[in-house]
Amino acid sequence: MGFFRKKSNSKMHSNSISTSQMMKTNLANELKTNLQENLQRIRDSLGKSSDIIIREIRVGKEETIKAGIIYTDGLTDTISLQNFILETLMLDVEGTELQKKLSPEQNLISILKDFAMTVGEIRELTNFEELLTGLLSGDTIILIDGYAQGLIISNRHWVERGVTEASAQVVVRGPREGFSENLRVNTALVRRRLKDPDLWMESKIIGKRTKTNVAMMYIKGIANDKIVKEVRLRLDKIDIDGILESGNIEELIQDAPYSPFPTIFNTERPDVVAAALLEGRIAILVDGTPFVLVVPALFVQFFQSSEDYYQRADIASLIRLLRFFAFSIAMLAPALFIAVTTFNHAMLPTGLLISLAAQREGAPFPAFVEAIIMEVTFEILREAGLRMPRTIGSAISIVGAFVIGTAAVEAGIISAAMVIVVSITAISSFVSPTYNLAISGRMLRFGFMALAASFGLLGITIGLIALLLHLCSLRSFGVPYMSSIAPFNLSDQKDTFILLPIWKMFTRPRLISQQNIVRQQDSASAKPQPPKNEGG
Amino acid sequence: MKKCMIVLLILSPILTGCWDKRELNELGITLAIGIDKVEDEYQVTAQVVVPSEIPTKTSTGRSPVILFQEKGETVNEALRKITKTSPRKIYPGHLRMLVLGEDLAKEGIAKSLDLLSRDWELRSDFFVAIAKDMTAAEVLNVRTTIENIPANNMFNSLQTSEHYWAATNGIKLDELIASLTSDGTEAVLTGILVTGDQEIGSTKQEVESINPPVRIVYDELAVFKKDKLVGWLTERESRGYNGIVNEVQKSVTAISCPEEGKATIEIIQADSKVKGKINKGMPEVDINIKVKGNVGEVECQINLNDLDTIVELEKITEKQMEETINMSIETLQKQYKSDIFGFGEAIHRSNPKEWKKMKEQWDEEFPKLKANVKVDVKLVHTGTEGNSFLEKIEVK
Repeated sequence: MGFFRKKSNSKMHSNSISTSQMMKTNLANELKTNLQENLQRIRDSLGKSSDIIIREIRVGKEETIKAGIIYTDGLTDTISLQNFILETLMLDVEGTELQKKLSPEQNLISILKDFAMTVGEIRELTNFEELLTGLLSGDTIILIDGYAQGLIISNRHWVERGVTEASAQVVVRGPREGFSENLRVNTALVRRRLKDPDLWMESKIIGKRTKTNVAMMYIKGIANDKIVKEVRLRLDKIDIDGILESGNIEELIQDAPYSPFPTIFNTERPDVVAAALLEGRIAILVDGTPFVLVVPALFVQFFQSSEDYYQRADIASLIRLLRFFAFSIAMLAPALFIAVTTFNHAMLPTGLLISLAAQREGAPFPAFVEAIIMEVTFEILREAGLRMPRTIGSAISIVGAFVIGTAAVEAGIISAAMVIVVSITAISSFVSPTYNLAISGRMLRFGFMALAASFGLLGITIGLIALLLHLCSLRSFGVPYMSSIAPFNLSDQKDTFILLPIWKMFTRPRLISQQNIVRQQDSASAKPQPPKNEGG
Repeated sequence: MKKCMIVLLILSPILTGCWDKRELNELGITLAIGIDKVEDEYQVTAQVVVPSEIPTKTSTGRSPVILFQEKGETVNEALRKITKTSPRKIYPGHLRMLVLGEDLAKEGIAKSLDLLSRDWELRSDFFVAIAKDMTAAEVLNVRTTIENIPANNMFNSLQTSEHYWAATNGIKLDELIASLTSDGTEAVLTGILVTGDQEIGSTKQEVESINPPVRIVYDELAVFKKDKLVGWLTERESRGYNGIVNEVQKSVTAISCPEEGKATIEIIQADSKVKGKINKGMPEVDINIKVKGNVGEVECQINLNDLDTIVELEKITEKQMEETINMSIETLQKQYKSDIFGFGEAIHRSNPKEWKKMKEQWDEEFPKLKANVKVDVKLVHTGTEGNSFLEKIEVK
């Protein structure tokens, strides 16, 4: 551990040097009045990159004014650049009032900004740093000779994946659209569901080199101010060169970095984010990824699918119980099998014991080794199926099923019962609506198997107690991870193991939104009732 | 410090060497154990399952069980000696049947049971039976067909019979030990025996025949005094015993019709209450039995549509049951002088002070005890028929 700490210390040291160097250069960061000097500086600092287009033009009365237009090819909407900027400046201006105004005597920058540019978002810039950030984000920069100012025009446009169906969190009933890679599109998707003026958004730029846009969304008045402040604080503390996916942010701001359990929820479904915001949670959207982070995250939240709330409550409750059950199978089934077949034989019914013993006749490996072989094989197959190109993926599963299922048993390497146990474990691990909790179960499974192989049921029990203690010690942004179970809250039980109909849920989860609890004011009239004298 | 703890925790599962792990194919799964007394030594017979013969789709015809037999000064010693012949250590955790030889039972069974109740591997939910007129080893040496493991055959047969037939009573080890240690109750055990030519019983011939020449049969109850076998009840006495101790779940009983012929009453529920009391210094017990039954079979000319007939049938049944019960009490009082009904316990419960005085002389008091038996029968159904169709055909 000490070794790592030392290393990270030295890293931090070098980082601080580079920031101080940057501070020094900041002083000379103002734009110059000379256009050529400015353009040369852009060329120098970008290393003459071929996708940076620098166009010099002459505009205005008798074409006396020298101007430069700079943009990044591929990130800028070239059509709007031609139609609304180049054409306005070079052709349409001929013989109009504007041309007279465009004389060196006037303040050209403000005239251009106020009269000439037929584009939506435009602002002035004076700073070289800002220029480069805008340029590399896809904005168009206009610099004019003789002014230490410039214009930054937002006409970003690049090829991207549109809004498509969420592929990682599939539902039968419910909205199909999922987030895309574009932050603006994503915030729009949320905004479209919550037309509430209290839905506030704070933007941040994180990553010294990637300069990734990160947006923090919450509903003012529902979200707990303390948690909002805490999220802001943790985001501001991030000091890293690059953020490529929300997973990077998640790792940098999570509460328990060594815990196998996720303390930050992620989703690619706008309706899930909207529902979370309504419960008083805070969403963190990161540019470049469809996965949005939601905090604070509770243990039970990972068993809740958005579809639960769109279906009837009865079936949703049963399915949710099934998920909890499947999670315990995915975590414990092989361990329990090892324990009862190698230590606690008395736990089995006599008939089953004899039948299992018959299957184990001639099996060369102990049950634990058998289980490890099968589990590892399965994990390899799963990984291979994920990473292979889609078209070959199905071939993998066929070979896998054949190898695991029949050949291993027929060859007498593995007992048939073990194949059943591993299969049910594998299937159960796919039930979880959230991928990252299923992963925790998958990892813990091996720990439990080792405990079972050395101590039997006793080991499993001790492992479970330790696990429970660990879960109860976790916090997600100040909220107890197991909350509504521990600390117990009766009204939150309406949405924990079972789900009550939506007209029974009057309140938000207690510990998340502490200031604005009530969802439906009139609890009596919430229940749907047909008029009494109808149909008579 | 914390790091040390973590390292220790991680190492502990790895370094334990799997403690007392035993794979399934290292177990000699023993489903039945027989204990006999042979020349001052215990002879222990273990019926061990041969797993490879169990679930095969095609029957090999080989025996699904194997017997191991050893003698020793104690039961435990004999059991351990079996490892001399068996490749796997006896695993008695799933024991279904414990068969005790009659010779052993006559000498006293208590000493041989200690190991079985002490060993942590054993559950106490197996049946105990006495081999009638033979050794336990002989009982275990018979192959069976429907349940191809003989121990399972014995277990299931006793369980079914106990449920549907009032004369058998499956006694499990914990019940046996409870009645052995109790002051006011003596033990009973069910008898088991083998009919037919025992030479054939263990051979392939036995399971190939549609009418196996050798059968395992449950017999009536064995009466104990302390831990020694003193005699056997008849079938009728066994029924009486089970009626008193509330062990009848379902049964049928044949009665005589008011005029001639027979009828059968199917007992669907029986509830017995035994109350002890002291009457003028003498112990007395009231036995109240409430029985619910159906008319199960009618082989005589009676009008079931008439409520009086039903009442009459109830009376006949009551009388017959009372007789049965009185008879079994009498046999126990006169012949065996053994209080297997737990009358002493009933008096202990109702009058602990008096019981303390007569506890020592209970053996003398019990034969003089007065038992007031009252059976109350309610017939609730007559089945899917009203009157018997026998009415409509002329009985020649």
